[in-house]
Amino acid sequence: MTNAIEVKNLTKYYDKFLAVDHIDFTVKQGEIFGFLGPNGAGKSTTQRMLVTLLTPTEGQILILGHDLAQNAYPAKRQIGLVPEESNVYTELTAWDNLMFTGRLYRMSKDERRARAEELLETFGLWEKRDVKVENYSKGMRRRLSIAMAVIHKPALLFLDEPTPGLDAQSARAIQGLIRQLSADGTTVFLTTHQIEEANQLCDRVAIINHGKIAATDTPEQLKQTFQQVQSVEVAFVPKETLKVSETLEGLDEKLVSLPEVSTVVKVGDKWRLYTEDPSALLSHILQFAETQGLRIVSLNTLAPSLEDVFLQITGQQIGVIQNQNPPKRLGMRRGKGDRK
Amino acid sequence: MKDLWLRISNEFAQAWTVTLKDIKVYYLRPGMIMFGFLMPFFMFFSFSVRREMAAEAGLARLLALTIFFTAAAAGPFIIPMERRLGTYDRLLAAPMSLFTLLMGKTAVGAFFAIVVASVSALAGVLIFGTTVAQPGLMLAGILIGSFSFSTLGLIFGSIPTRNPGDVQMPSTLLRWGLLFISGVFVPLSEMAPFARGLAYLSPLTYAQDLMNFAVLGEGLLNPWLNLGVLLLTAVLFLVPSIKLHQRGRVLGY
Repeated sequence: MTNAIEVKNLTKYYDKFLAVDHIDFTVKQGEIFGFLGPNGAGKSTTQRMLVTLLTPTEGQILILGHDLAQNAYPAKRQIGLVPEESNVYTELTAWDNLMFTGRLYRMSKDERRARAEELLETFGLWEKRDVKVENYSKGMRRRLSIAMAVIHKPALLFLDEPTPGLDAQSARAIQGLIRQLSADGTTVFLTTHQIEEANQLCDRVAIINHGKIAATDTPEQLKQTFQQVQSVEVAFVPKETLKVSETLEGLDEKLVSLPEVSTVVKVGDKWRLYTEDPSALLSHILQFAETQGLRIVSLNTLAPSLEDVFLQITGQQIGVIQNQNPPKRLGMRRGKGDRK
Repeated sequence: MKDLWLRISNEFAQAWTVTLKDIKVYYLRPGMIMFGFLMPFFMFFSFSVRREMAAEAGLARLLALTIFFTAAAAGPFIIPMERRLGTYDRLLAAPMSLFTLLMGKTAVGAFFAIVVASVSALAGVLIFGTTVAQPGLMLAGILIGSFSFSTLGLIFGSIPTRNPGDVQMPSTLLRWGLLFISGVFVPLSEMAPFARGLAYLSPLTYAQDLMNFAVLGEGLLNPWLNLGVLLLTAVLFLVPSIKLHQRGRVLGY
């Protein structure tokens, strides 16, 4: 079966700045492929090259078997694009936006009307189909933007950051729509920095950092290969005789000096202690609580999340306190990922 | 061969779709009304009121100014705005050629100019009793001139930027420059040889001379030459527009 996307040695320079650095990857037909990376990593640049909006400096892009450099036309007919900003015509109604897009893709009148009705129903916009889009909420515009991108039933859909800025209900509705599109056979290329979204939606993900692909695998495989980022999450309260300020203050520094702990991250009212050996760490935590006059409210061991993997690979860590003498076997600060 | 015809008919339909959408979305926007509708009348009245001028000469000047300013206003206004809103990406990613997209955009400015110029001509004839020596030639001039000046505006709209302000300034400067070197306010026959040589570099000169011939029945140049030059510039102005769009794809606009 032809790959939906095949990228070979793709490179993009903006003047002398190297934005995308000789990357290779493939996306299989029918899968939801997540393209993750921090801001400025090269995600959007890569996607813009894949949808013909940007000319690569070097390399080859095959979309559904069509080489974009040779003839982009057949590929363009089969792709849909939902950019980061909902690029809908706010002066037009939802119906007019869909009719315009249907005409651009040369759908017959009956075909585009039937498809528009179906999409407006599915996306919960039917009641407001004759209202100008300038009166729509951000979530409604987003849904319309997706509807416009799929009106011609593309085989491959590009989504750039589909949910940031939306309320939880709208975000969940859009994630449901993406799953539905995938179930209907559409290949989805999802560019995002919402790690949890990628974890829940994607069959495979690629992590791009500084213009290079740092890792490509299924979310679960990536987590498996990063077992050293297991953690223990613990919440303390002071025993009754002590004040909170006397006990919890400066706890970060004390926790990070525990044996087996490489890094401590404060997560709300809890502390997440990264370790390679959670079972060994548990006894140290119990002992620590006893000596510090603390009562343990909750204690959980956590497998590495996709976010942990992402942070490891991209070298990004927020609110982290690092052990100055980490256990030798851990190597938490390993170099930015070069895994494939 | 059948595929080719299908492709050509598709591209025509797509260009028309872009044109209709832009007419619906942009014709009544303040920027279009200001630069496309009010500007030519403002220029006309600034330089024509309280001057002894026959109604026919006034109509010929107004028509030249209208097609020039109105047609050239659309490109620099619409394309940078669409780039800023992200809607231009939708058009660039659609299955149509860049040429088709530019044709659709050209027609937007051209139709605006054709409507405004036609209304001006009708008002001149019906309200002020102006006579038109060659109505057919006038219509051909309005039609071809509008397309020519619309592609001129397209050059500025094609500059890779998302800020309409970056485009409006150079576009206005050029249009005013062309206005003053062309034979609109000073007839070609009264110009010094150097000034006349300069005037021949401006397509507006040919539009004005054509309108003089069509309305007054007298012009300095052959009307077919005027029409030919306007037609040629309509095609030639597309070349820098295409090049600038290709540059925009390299730069990321």
